[in-house]
Amino acid sequence: MAVARPDTPRLDRLELTRRVVGAASDALIVAGIGNAGFDLATAGDRPENFYMLGSMGLGVPIGHGLALAQPERPVIVLEGEGSVLMNLGALATVGRESPENLTIVIWDNEQWQLTGGQRLATASSCDLATVARGCGIQSVMTPDDETTFESDVRRALDSPGPHVLVVKIDATAGVGRPHSDPIWHKYRFMQALGIVPD
Amino acid sequence: MSEIQWHTDIIDAFKANNIRMIAQVADTVLAPIISAMEADSFFRVVTLSREEEGIGLLTGAYLGGIRGALLLQASGLGNTINAFGSLALPYQIPFVVLLSQRGSYFEHNIVQISGGKSTTAILNALDIQVFDLVRPDEVAFIAERGMRHAFVSRKPVALTITTQLSGGKSGSRTA
Repeated sequence: MAVARPDTPRLDRLELTRRVVGAASDALIVAGIGNAGFDLATAGDRPENFYMLGSMGLGVPIGHGLALAQPERPVIVLEGEGSVLMNLGALATVGRESPENLTIVIWDNEQWQLTGGQRLATASSCDLATVARGCGIQSVMTPDDETTFESDVRRALDSPGPHVLVVKIDATAGVGRPHSDPIWHKYRFMQALGIVPD
Repeated sequence: MSEIQWHTDIIDAFKANNIRMIAQVADTVLAPIISAMEADSFFRVVTLSREEEGIGLLTGAYLGGIRGALLLQASGLGNTINAFGSLALPYQIPFVVLLSQRGSYFEHNIVQISGGKSTTAILNALDIQVFDLVRPDEVAFIAERGMRHAFVSRKPVALTITTQLSGGKSGSRTA
């Protein structure tokens, strides 16, 4: 049960993001809008990272499309719970299509942190791990310490998915920022994949 | 395989442009085209929960080297606007938007009219080019060149299956 009790440990997103980058090897990482991307830029900017600067709610679909186009590469999506809630139907699409190389990490601090900490349904009534299972995603993990998180990420990267990790985190603000130019991100990422764009 | 020539012409235009990833929210006009593509191993057809998802999916596919198209009824366009405005357009992600028109000739449902009439204005406001498919004998040319235009302009391009062409949801014109 991922709905937080008062004693649920709250992990630090930046430290966990560092562990994702450390485990990533050649995996492609898609970061959703806001703190997910801020901490990825701080933890380990690399050409194989793609950052969303807008389009809240589309981190999972972007990662899904990328996973279908690059079936030999692991794809990791780092996305906030608010963004996942905005497009819950995307988890149903992932469940049905079942891309084996897709891992979705959901950072859940139960609030819209960037806009002032408004409480979300995951603070009380909504368990995203149960939602993911209900969408047909078989491998759903809820690590509650840093060591377990890292081993879960490594296991996800080494085994057929899709995988979803729902992680209760604290409300530390991300300090880094990705580059502000979308087209720069597009070309850098595609170049890292060896793809010549149109 | 659909027996209607303009269906085949649209599918051939996708192939001529190497467009393989198909993200769709069907309607009855698009359904036979989608069925034909599902039966064709050239295409990977993904059924969406909501149209907006398709823009994310096609962006990811394009970044990964696969060209795509979003197939939707025009009334679904409203579900996609922020995804165009803050993803596909600023990142210059090209793909094809194949729209089935509502709210014009043959419309039977009043709630489709306001949204249907707004479709072209919304696309114009987003600065997305629109090519209308009206006459069956022009579909092959307009579809092939219109789709190509997305990748030339590095932006989404819309192709509208007009109700003159399709007969609308009732399918009263099928030739």
